[in-house]
Amino acid sequence: MVPTFLHYRIAEAGISKVVQNPLIHRLKVGGAAFETSFDANMSTHEKKLKIALVGCGQIADAHLQELKKIPVADAVAVCDLHADLAQQAAVRFQIPHAYTDMQRMLDEVQPDVVHVTTPVPAHRPLAIQAMQAGAHVYIEKPLTIDLAETEAILSAAEEYGVLICPGHDQLYDPIWLECRELCQQGVIGNVQHIDSMLGYSMQGPFGAPIVADSNHWVRRLPGGLFQNTISHPLYKITEFLTDQNPEVWATWFSRSTDIPFPTEMRVHLRGEQVTGSLLFTSTTKPIYRLIRILGTSGSLEVDLNAQVIRHDREKSLPGALEKLDVPFWQFREAARNLKRNIGKFLRSELHYFAGMRKLFEQFYTAILDNGPPPIAYAEIRRFSGLMDEIYDCCRDGDSPAKVSGHRSEAESRVMESSTY
Amino acid sequence: MKALVTGATGFLGRRLVRDLLDERVDVRCAVRPMSNTAGIRDFLGTSRWSGVDVHRVVLEDLDSCRQVIQDCDVIFHLAASLTGSTATMVLNTVIPTRRLIEAVCEAGTLQRFVHVSSLGVYGTEKLKKGAILDEDCELDPHPDRRDPYSYSKVIQEQVIWQAHREHQLPVVVVRPGVIYGPGRNGISSRVGLRLGQLILRMGGRQKLPYTHVDNCANAILLAGIADGVAGQAINVVDDRLPTGRELLKWYRRAGHKFFTVGIPQWALNPLSRFNKWYHHWSQGQIPAVMTPYKSQALWKPLKYSNERAKTLLKWEPGITFDTGIQSTLADY
Repeated sequence: MVPTFLHYRIAEAGISKVVQNPLIHRLKVGGAAFETSFDANMSTHEKKLKIALVGCGQIADAHLQELKKIPVADAVAVCDLHADLAQQAAVRFQIPHAYTDMQRMLDEVQPDVVHVTTPVPAHRPLAIQAMQAGAHVYIEKPLTIDLAETEAILSAAEEYGVLICPGHDQLYDPIWLECRELCQQGVIGNVQHIDSMLGYSMQGPFGAPIVADSNHWVRRLPGGLFQNTISHPLYKITEFLTDQNPEVWATWFSRSTDIPFPTEMRVHLRGEQVTGSLLFTSTTKPIYRLIRILGTSGSLEVDLNAQVIRHDREKSLPGALEKLDVPFWQFREAARNLKRNIGKFLRSELHYFAGMRKLFEQFYTAILDNGPPPIAYAEIRRFSGLMDEIYDCCRDGDSPAKVSGHRSEAESRVMESSTY
Repeated sequence: MKALVTGATGFLGRRLVRDLLDERVDVRCAVRPMSNTAGIRDFLGTSRWSGVDVHRVVLEDLDSCRQVIQDCDVIFHLAASLTGSTATMVLNTVIPTRRLIEAVCEAGTLQRFVHVSSLGVYGTEKLKKGAILDEDCELDPHPDRRDPYSYSKVIQEQVIWQAHREHQLPVVVVRPGVIYGPGRNGISSRVGLRLGQLILRMGGRQKLPYTHVDNCANAILLAGIADGVAGQAINVVDDRLPTGRELLKWYRRAGHKFFTVGIPQWALNPLSRFNKWYHHWSQGQIPAVMTPYKSQALWKPLKYSNERAKTLLKWEPGITFDTGIQSTLADY
């Protein structure tokens, strides 16, 4: 089956035309054609986009670092309420202007694109302010507090004739592109189920400040810690689980008496054809970003941290021979991954935020070509609604008995689906 | 005298609180709302702890700063972030300092503001090998080329000196070297880079600017009470300083297992240049942990002076390195 996201790109982005371009080189194993075509398109653009960024916290570093690698992007200004934060970003990334007043930045710099990397509660007002000034807006995940805010942003984009893009950058991670390509080729048959797992450290650079500050903005989100974290594992499920209103079963809880808010989440989703499970855990090691896609004739396991993809298929040898066949197959997969990653290392292609860069490039291409946004607005709307439903489900029940949508027998079936 | 200590629950802060209480100073501790005070309570003991006035405050908030400094004669400002990204360090180190300074300048009644900085704030690029690093050396003019901690400490000091110039804040800046002691691993980045069980020992024969935590706490206390030191910066390093080789030998003898690869001094610059070039060429595939600028700041052989601390504060580092490292290893 072709995932909705990919289908959207093929249908609306004129991919067949792009593929005929002789400058395009396809990746050997993976990488959808629309994705690899970018560099060829970019080189034809003489205009540079003036990029401004508002919110100079930790993730802003990743944005500025990746922006610097894109030829058509010219990072011209950064803005933060704290002058010290704006200044450190400007100095470290050689950005010519630093502001503490967003409107002043918009008036003086007149950016083509504004990246919003502030805490989520500020996304909607800042994005709309930027759109009013005529700027296209890239907004870090999670896009908004809830669906109502998402609708407000989408309406503003339509009203002011600009594009918006949520920071679902792992959809463009090289290993995820390879996985998508394999699914598209039918390597595992029809996709039946997706397990998506996100490990998180409450002692890490992002978790520790949330624990330390009882008034931290993340704690005040409707979905708490999870609202700020589960976008990445969730959109890898919704890429394949395309139902508008899937059944949702979700719960959150804490395993630590020292942390006074939920730090564990389990979500099960059931659509007409596909089911999905999301596991968010803050107590296990190693800290994974792992997705397992189960199909009718095989499975794929994608490890985003290690940039490894493991294919498994129905065993063909009987009895004791299977015990030799399986480890040999796994050895082959490991060797393939090692060879591929050595090649990538030598070509300097192993970058943690490679997906972010590719999504930026797609977004800028859409702006320059007057094309559609890289992530369809219908998908943004559906995803935002699903996030709300998950948090409602957790809040309403705070127990595993709650299921949104039509529950009953379906619940138990979904519950039986595979988890890690 | 009433003293406010920020960062009181930390490795250094709890020792300073102990020393202040022993000097019969009224102590108020500013700690974060979620900060765990069990460590300092156990360290001080029930009797001492009962005399401490604990205020849970967010120093990023000006009103909280206004409240917590009320009636205080001296502030010992130790609170700072030790790890994290540059943005996090600025948020947790520089911005609380700005708020605290703003509240203090508003009040205008403080007798002494003792700011605990770091020996890492100096710009050593222009110093020749073997030169003396003392308080007359300039602050690093390019902190953005350094690590996040050094960057945040340089900017923090700039905030302090600006308040001294513009508002006559009676400030004393204490710049300790690497602080070691029971409860903290003494193998710091001054020794080299740690990659799991492997330590890349950089140089190895140069003296390391170390100070035992008790010596350092004593110097900070004296900076709060000594006469005629307002407006001074004072380096704090012990008398006999170890080398990287010596420090690692101590750890090995104590049974710690690690592999060491020694990088000689002459190889540091070429390696740093290569790291910088590769980082740039690969667009960041490997971080630029070693650049010529960072390497000279951390591993250039220099002499470290503590003369000003001895002269102005009448400070003497009572714990020698041999004694200090033994107690550190016994506890580690």
